[in-house]
Amino acid sequence: MDEFGGQFVSFAKLVMLALVPYVLASQGTMLSGRTGIFNVAQEGIMLVGASAGFLGAYYSGSLVVGILVAMVVGGLFGLALAYFTTTLKMDQFVIGLALFFVGLGLSTLLFKIAIGVTLQPPLIPTLDAVPVPGLSKIPVLGDILFNQNWLVYLTVLLSALLYYVMYQTSFGLALRAVGENPKAADSLGVNVTLMRYGAAIVGGMLMGVAGAYLPMVYTGTFTEGIVRGRGWLSIALAFFGGWSPHLIFLGSLFFAGVEVLALRVQVGGGVSIPYQFLLMLPYVATILVMMPALKWVRPPAFLGRNYDREKRTSV
Amino acid sequence: MSIIGCESSGFHTLFTKAVYSKGVAESMVEQPILQMKDIRKTFGNVVALNNVSLSLNRKEVHGLLGGNGAGKTTLMNVLYGLYKPDAGDILLDGEKIQIRSPKDAISHKIGMVHQHFLQVDSFSVVENIVLGTPLANNPRLDLAPARKKIGQLAEHFGLEVETEARIEDLSMGIRQRVEILKALYRGVKILILDEPTTNLTPQEVDHLFHSLRAMVNAGMSVAFITHKLREVLSVCDRITVLRQGETVFTLGRSEADEETFVQAMVGEEMDVGDSLIFSRQRGDESQPAPAAAEPQPPTLRVQDVCVLNEAGLPAVDGCTFTAHQGEILGIAGVAGNGQLELAESIMGIRPLAAGEIIINDTPVSTAKTVDLLQDLVTYIPEDRLQDGYLPTATVAQNLILGFHRKPTYNRHGFLKRRAILQASAELISEYNIITQGPNDAAANLSGGNIQRVMIARALSYPSQLLLAHNPTRGLDIPSMEFVYRKLLARKESGQATLLISEDLDELLLMCDRIATLYRGKLVGLLKRADFDKYQIGRMMSGVTNGK
Amino acid sequence: MVNENAGRILGLDYRKIANQTIPYVAAVGAAFLAAGIFIALMGFDALKAYNTILFTSFKTTNGMVQTLLKFVPLVLQALAFTVPFAAGKFNIGGEGQLIVGAIGATGAGIIFSDLPAVLLLPLVILSGALFGAIWAAIPAWLLYRFNMNEILTTVLMNFISFSLIDYVATKVWRDPAAGHPTTIPIGQGGQLPLLISSPPLHAGLLIAIFVAVVIYIYTDKTSAGYELIATGANPKASRVYGINVPRIFILSLVLGGVLAGLSGAIEVSGSHHRLIEGLQSNYLLLGLIIGLIAKGNNLAVPFVALFIAILEVGASAMQRTMMIPGEMVFIVEALILVFVLLSDVVRRR
Repeated sequence: MDEFGGQFVSFAKLVMLALVPYVLASQGTMLSGRTGIFNVAQEGIMLVGASAGFLGAYYSGSLVVGILVAMVVGGLFGLALAYFTTTLKMDQFVIGLALFFVGLGLSTLLFKIAIGVTLQPPLIPTLDAVPVPGLSKIPVLGDILFNQNWLVYLTVLLSALLYYVMYQTSFGLALRAVGENPKAADSLGVNVTLMRYGAAIVGGMLMGVAGAYLPMVYTGTFTEGIVRGRGWLSIALAFFGGWSPHLIFLGSLFFAGVEVLALRVQVGGGVSIPYQFLLMLPYVATILVMMPALKWVRPPAFLGRNYDREKRTSV
Repeated sequence: MSIIGCESSGFHTLFTKAVYSKGVAESMVEQPILQMKDIRKTFGNVVALNNVSLSLNRKEVHGLLGGNGAGKTTLMNVLYGLYKPDAGDILLDGEKIQIRSPKDAISHKIGMVHQHFLQVDSFSVVENIVLGTPLANNPRLDLAPARKKIGQLAEHFGLEVETEARIEDLSMGIRQRVEILKALYRGVKILILDEPTTNLTPQEVDHLFHSLRAMVNAGMSVAFITHKLREVLSVCDRITVLRQGETVFTLGRSEADEETFVQAMVGEEMDVGDSLIFSRQRGDESQPAPAAAEPQPPTLRVQDVCVLNEAGLPAVDGCTFTAHQGEILGIAGVAGNGQLELAESIMGIRPLAAGEIIINDTPVSTAKTVDLLQDLVTYIPEDRLQDGYLPTATVAQNLILGFHRKPTYNRHGFLKRRAILQASAELISEYNIITQGPNDAAANLSGGNIQRVMIARALSYPSQLLLAHNPTRGLDIPSMEFVYRKLLARKESGQATLLISEDLDELLLMCDRIATLYRGKLVGLLKRADFDKYQIGRMMSGVTNGK
Repeated sequence: MVNENAGRILGLDYRKIANQTIPYVAAVGAAFLAAGIFIALMGFDALKAYNTILFTSFKTTNGMVQTLLKFVPLVLQALAFTVPFAAGKFNIGGEGQLIVGAIGATGAGIIFSDLPAVLLLPLVILSGALFGAIWAAIPAWLLYRFNMNEILTTVLMNFISFSLIDYVATKVWRDPAAGHPTTIPIGQGGQLPLLISSPPLHAGLLIAIFVAVVIYIYTDKTSAGYELIATGANPKASRVYGINVPRIFILSLVLGGVLAGLSGAIEVSGSHHRLIEGLQSNYLLLGLIIGLIAKGNNLAVPFVALFIAILEVGASAMQRTMMIPGEMVFIVEALILVFVLLSDVVRRR
C-alpha cells in the first residue's frame, strides 16, 4: 500500500471512530423529534453522560458499566423532558434549555464531588478495537470498517434498525404520525403520550451514551469542554439528515469527516492557515451545508409543539 | 365483518331502498344501541355540557342540531373518548361502558369523522387509514390486504378513493371519504359525523346522504352533527336539539314543524319571526334589504388577478370582479379553491403575480397591509387562531392589532394606555365578548369569543371595504344574527362588503350577487334574483355550462 | 367585567404584584431547600453555606462592588436574550456576541489608542455594540434567508467566536508578557471612568441601568415594542395585520447582539482594559437563566439579575471558604428556574 493509501485508511478509521457520538446524539434527536418533542438539551445530556459514564467506568472498572450508567442518566433526562412537555405541557425550548443548564452544572459538580479538583485527573482505559473475525481481513475496507470498537458496530446497526422500524413497521408508521399530526394518531387509538415518553427517553439514552463515548475514546477522563458543541451539532444533523435515520447516518459521516480533517491539518502542520480557523471549520461547515439542505428538508409538522387532547383552541 | 356482509345487495340497491324506506317505527321498539346519560363536562369555569342525555337507535340517522356552542361536538368528543366527562354514563346495548380514549371507542365499534379532518397530510390514503392497526411485516410492511379491504368498502358505499394518493394533494370531498373509510375500515357500528357538509357542494351533500342511508341499511347507526335544520330534516330519522349545553328535546323528523325546531335551537329570548337567519326558511326571499336600484360606484375592482401559492402554482388564476358601494358581494366555493389567496392578495399580504387591484380609484396592487388598514379595508380572516389571534397577549392587545399605530392609540411612537383600555372596554361590551376585562389574558377566551374579537376589530374601525372570510364560523345563532345585522348596516350606509364564505346558505341569505371560485377561477356571477343553489353547487364543482 | 379597582391602592395593583411575587419566593425557597439537603448529604454545613451564598455581597464594600460588577454583564446578557424572546426568537448567542463585541471594542481601543477619552471612549463602546450586532446579524440573515433555526445558528456562532478570540489574543495584538492569551491594553482614553476608586467600580453600571430602563420602555410602552410582542405571540397573525414580521425578527436578534456586544465592550473598557480569553465567563448561561426566570418580563430582569449576581458572588465565597463546588449554586439557579416554570403549571390548574 502506498503512502497515500495508508493515509486514507488511517483517516477513514478516525472518521468511523468520530462518527459514533454524532450518530447516537442525532438519531436520539431525530427519534424524539419524530414524535414532536424537539430536544435542545443534547449538549447538557452529553456532558452529564460523559461525566457519569466516566465515573461509572472509573469506580466499577468496567467501560460497559460506564456506558450503562450514562444510558440511565441520559434516559432520566429524556424522561424529565417528556414529563415537563407532554404531561405538564410546558414550552419545549424553555424546558430543553433548563435541562441543558442542569446537565451542564451537574456534569462538573458530579466530577468535582467524586474526584475533587486535581491537576492529575484519574484515567480510564479507552475502548479496545474488536476485530470482526474474517471481515477485518478484507483489504482496506476490513481495517476501516471491521477493526473498530464495539460501539462503532452498534452505531451502524442501530441506524439500520431505526430505518427498518420507522419505515417498515406499523409501529414506525404510528410513531411518525404522532410527530406529524398527534390528534389524528390519537383519534385512531395511538397512544401519543406513551410514544412521546418512549421516544424522548430512548433519545436521551442515546445522547447519554454519545457523551460517555468521548472520555472512553479520546481523553480518558472528564473535562468541562469535552463535548465541544457536538450536542448542538447533532440538532443541525437532524435537520441536515431530513429527520431520517439513513440520511442522518450519511450526514454524520460528513460531520465526522470535517472534524477529523480539521484535527489532522492542525496536527500535521504544513498548512499556513492559523489553527484557530481550522477549529472553526466544523461549525462554519455546518452552517454552509445547512443552507441548501433546508430547502428540501421537511421537519415533522408538529415538531416543538405539545399536544393537549382536551385543548379546544388548537386544531 | 357485518358491513361488507351485505355483499349481494350492492350500493345502488341499498341506495334505492334507503331513499324510500323509513325505518323509524320498527327501530323505536328495540333497545337503543347507545345511550348517553346525564353527561356533564366543564372547561375551566365554562359548563359545556350540563347533564345532557342522548339515545341512539339501531339503524337510524340521528341528528344533533344546535347552534355553535350548543355542545354538540363536545358531546360527541366525550363519546369518542377525546374528552373526559365530569359526570354521566354511557351505555352500549344497555351495558355501561367506559370510554377513556379513542382507542376504547374504536374497540366498542364507534367511529368519528371530525369537522377538521384528522389526517397526516404527508402520508398516503392507505397509510392514513391503517394507522394504529396492526399490520403484517414479511419482512417489509405489507399494505396489500388493507388496500383490498379499502377497495371493497369504497365500492360498497360509494366512497371511491385512490389509495396511494398523498392526502395533501386531495380535495376536501375526497378527504372526507378517507375519513369515513377510516371508520368503516375499523368495522364501526356507530358513526359520528361532525358538520360533515361544511366543505361539500350541494351535490356532494346529496351523495353523502345517500352513503349514510346505505350505511344505516347495512346495520349501522349514524349520529349527525349540524347547525343546519334543512340537513337534519332531509336525512335524519330522529333529531335531538341542544342549546347552551343542554338537551332541549328529541323528536322524530315528522313529529314537529320547522318553527318548533328553530325556536328550540335559539331559545325563547330570540324572536325567530323577526330574525334574518330564518327568513329564508320562512320563505321570505326579500330579506335582507334589497339592492340599490341604481348602480353605485365601485369600491373594489379586481382585474385579471393571479396569485401564486406556497408551491409557486397559481392559486388565483385571472380573477376579475367589482364590489360596489352599498353592496355585499359573495364569493362561493369549496374551501381551498383560492379563497384564502384571493383575500390575502387584496389585503396586501400576498404579492400579485399579475393583474391589478383598485380601491376607490387608487391602485393598491403593491400597497402594504399596514396602509390598507388605515381607513381603507378591514379584514376578518378565515382562520382566526392562526391568522388573527395573539394567544399570549391580553384582550386589549388583541383588539388593537393592526390599528396600534393609529393616532387614537399612539402618540410619538408611545402607546396611549388609557385610550386603549377605554376603547377595549367599549368593544368588549358592544360585541358581547365574555372576558374579565381588557387586561385579561386572551388565552382565556373561548372560540366564539375569539371570533367576536375578530368581528369587533373589523367592524369597529372605519373602512371603505370589509373583507370577511367565513365571518360567522364558530358563532352561536344570536351572534350570527348580530353579525348579519352589522353587515346590513354597512350596506345601508353605502359601504362595500366582500363576503367570502364556504357556507352557501349564508351567501344566499346575505349577498346581492354571488360569484363562484373554482380552482382559482371565477366561474360564474349570479344576481340575487337568479340565485339557484344547485347551479352554484355545479359551479363549485367546476361545471360551468348548462343549467 | 369585574371590579377593575379591586386590590388597588395608590394606583398600584398590589394583588397582582403579590400574585406575581409569591411564586418567585416559593421557587427560590424550594430550590434552596433541595440544594440544602444535597449539601447536607455531602457532609457540609447547609446553613453556613446559605449564609455565605446569600449575604457575602452585603458584608463588605468589596462584596457589594463585586456584586454590582457581576450585575452589569448579567443584566445585559439577560436583555440580549429577552428582547428576541419577546418576538419569539431564542438568542443563545450572547456569548459569541459578547466576545466579538469585546474584540471590536479592543480593536478600536488599540488602533485609536491615542485619541482623547471624549472620542475614544464612545468609539470603544459603540464599536463593541456594532460588532455584537454584526455577529447576531449572521444568524438573523440565515433565519430570514434560509429559515435556519436561530437556536442552532446562534450557538454555532459562539463556538466560532471562541477560536476568533484565541486568534486575536495570540496572533493579532498578543501581549507577549502574559502567560494566558491576552492582548495589549487599549488606550487610556478608552477606559470607563470609575464611580468608586477603591475597590474600583466603573461607570458601566450606569450604562447597564440606563439600557435596562430604555429596553423596558421600548418593549412595554411603545408601538414598536407592541409589534415585537405581537410577533412573538403569533407571527402569522401579526403579518396579516400589517406588521413586517421578518424585519421584527431580524431587528430583535440584532438588538440582542447590540446588547451582548455592549456587555463585551464594558468588560474590556471597564474591567480588564484589554482582551482576555475567557472574559465571557458563564455570563451567557446566567443571562439565559435570568431571562427565563423573569419570563421575558423586562421590568423584572434587572431585579432577577441582581439576585443572581448576589448568588454568584456568594458562590465564589462558598467555594473559597467551604470547599463546596461553585457549580452547586449553578444547580440552585437552574432549580429556581425549573420551580418558577412549574409555578405556572400549578397556577394553570
